[in-house]
Amino acid sequence: MLDLKLEDVDGILVRYNVALEKEMTPDEAAEELYPKDKLVYPIAKAIYEGEEDDVIEGLEAAIKAGKKPIDLIDDALMIGMGVVTRLYDDGIIFLPNVMMSADAMLAGIEFCKSQTTEVPEAKGKVVCHVAEGDVHDIGKNIVVALLRANGYDVVDLGRDVPVDEVINAVVENKPIMVTGTALMTTTMYAFKEVNDKLLEKGIKIPFACGGGAVNQDFVSQYELGVYGEEAADAPKIADAIVSGIKDIAALREEFHKH
Amino acid sequence: MVKKYTSMAYANADELIFGKSKFPVKAGLGLEIGAGYTSPEVNYAPRPEAGKSKEKLVKEYERITTDIMARMVQIGAPSVVLETEHVQQMSNHPSWGAAVAHAQKTIMEEYHDEYGIKCALRHTIGDIREDRDFLDLRGGDKYNTFLEAFEQCAKSGADLLSVESMGGKEVFDYSILRNDTAGILFGIGVLGSMDMEMVWSDIAAIAKRTGTVAAGDTDCAQANTAMFIAGGLLDKNLAHTTAIVARAISAARSLCAYEAGAQGPGKDCGYENSIIKAIAGVPITQEGKTSTCAHSDLMGNLVMQCCDLWSNESVEYHGEFGGTTVQCWSETLAYDCSMMNVALKTGKAKDLRDILVLSDKYRDPQGYVLAYDNAYKVGQAIAKNGNDNYLRAKAAAIECCNIIESGVNSGKLRLTRFETNALAKVKADLVALTDDADKFMSDNLTKFKQEVAVFRPENYGL
Repeated sequence: MLDLKLEDVDGILVRYNVALEKEMTPDEAAEELYPKDKLVYPIAKAIYEGEEDDVIEGLEAAIKAGKKPIDLIDDALMIGMGVVTRLYDDGIIFLPNVMMSADAMLAGIEFCKSQTTEVPEAKGKVVCHVAEGDVHDIGKNIVVALLRANGYDVVDLGRDVPVDEVINAVVENKPIMVTGTALMTTTMYAFKEVNDKLLEKGIKIPFACGGGAVNQDFVSQYELGVYGEEAADAPKIADAIVSGIKDIAALREEFHKH
Repeated sequence: MVKKYTSMAYANADELIFGKSKFPVKAGLGLEIGAGYTSPEVNYAPRPEAGKSKEKLVKEYERITTDIMARMVQIGAPSVVLETEHVQQMSNHPSWGAAVAHAQKTIMEEYHDEYGIKCALRHTIGDIREDRDFLDLRGGDKYNTFLEAFEQCAKSGADLLSVESMGGKEVFDYSILRNDTAGILFGIGVLGSMDMEMVWSDIAAIAKRTGTVAAGDTDCAQANTAMFIAGGLLDKNLAHTTAIVARAISAARSLCAYEAGAQGPGKDCGYENSIIKAIAGVPITQEGKTSTCAHSDLMGNLVMQCCDLWSNESVEYHGEFGGTTVQCWSETLAYDCSMMNVALKTGKAKDLRDILVLSDKYRDPQGYVLAYDNAYKVGQAIAKNGNDNYLRAKAAAIECCNIIESGVNSGKLRLTRFETNALAKVKADLVALTDDADKFMSDNLTKFKQEVAVFRPENYGL
């Protein structure tokens, strides 16, 4: 078969990811971000490494040394997860690392809860679902993991969720926002129904939508819609809401990229 | 018991070429796929509101079909295939899918009768075998409805029967997000293959009964998920070296359709199809630069290398400056096919093929492995271990790693440090796996029953 000479490859394409790769390794970058506290450091590191057993071990040591379990959620677990999300946002680590860290953090939270009668306070509550008629849920699962990793209490309704079930969950849980994902053009039509029924009940909260066939033009057609192009946009939209940006137009201004 | 492929249909990689397959397939109205020419295969999705009722859906597909056929005639295209990927209503209610097939075929027959244009209709049934929480792959009402959808569409006008089956997806989805190599192999190569063998034996029987063609599957639910998560060069969601290992494994899985009686053409988004063509000699559909309306990939020209049908993946039906989307994209596909067909007629096909391949071969490890010379090697690894679903999937994955390593050693394929490390991890994981298929099954059944709440072994007869 025909082939290119080695020196000709660069004229055909550019491997920008190779050319621009950061010098620092992920482990080195993480090391710079860990808290220095001797009890918190091993927990944060275990979160970064996604090692559930080490997270629990670190928590046990911290509790034994006098730390309150409920405080360790914010002061150790969330700090460790903060390192992970920052490295992900900076393009230093990849999604599977975040997912494994999120698993480890959730195991840590459950452990902390089992050690106390106090109830942890989340940054806010978010209702997540996959559109009625749609069973493709890997995107929703990533959204849920990233939201939880960022300190949100997630009500995960799963996939193929009837519109009325979404509405009922919103009424019951009073979330700061709802997320909807869909792969198919015909199933994403359910988003409009969710939007209309929320408005009928006088509920005006951001409805962050994304996934396969979903696009910004479609989401912009209904009043509460905010388009998220990537799963990682979900916690950023939630953070914006928590920071006080509740107006849909303002959220669109910030998150609609096209 | 299905007969497994243990040898290659092609004596060498250089024989692989677009428009020609070892075993061409006659379908529809005067069409022969893989018989020396390429044809466009146009795929589309109805507008969101069209799913409201059966009548609205049928009308939408009538508009789509008429638009495509009219444009093909307007630009002088000699042949075309239409692919209707079912929206869930059409498969959950087989009479809906049948009504759409009948309406589409009626229009296509009118065009064929009036202009002589060669054409065929593919219906891709939705894999509806699940409920809200779990896959529901075998037995029961879901499976009966699923097969009924094939039967009714076949009897109502569909010429080519396909599906994007989802066996193994629950384990795969969990594993791909956790870099779990054994889980990826188990989900696609073992569970996926077991489900494919069952599904395609039944679809092939329906095709035989109805005089239609059992066309083939794609590992859209798994290998494409990996490719999409991997994204572009700068995306940070999954190492592209991991994604292509999932793709290599998927070839072993998608091959099961042909072992169970499918004849091709395999579906457009099966980027594993070049490997399958090398092993089985069946015609294939591919999509690349013409599927940018649906998604981005890193091998837009390369995958044209040995396609028999050339597709746009899917586009929502709506208006553009140049007509409706299906008119615009069918026209683009048809001109690409015209170029390939000229190359075939003038003896320049291999030159064109190699130019297409070289424009992408070093762009990304995924394209590098799928370039026909390397795809052939993955095929050989599968065929050499052809009798065992697990061992052949594992062999494909290891060969994939070896191919990338040799590309890196040539200096032409460059990886990031992250991709290099991910490749080393995947290869080390693979090499450490047992050669005992029963032990692999037993170990992973135990593991994933514990780790994946939605995994139900009974879906696989286990």
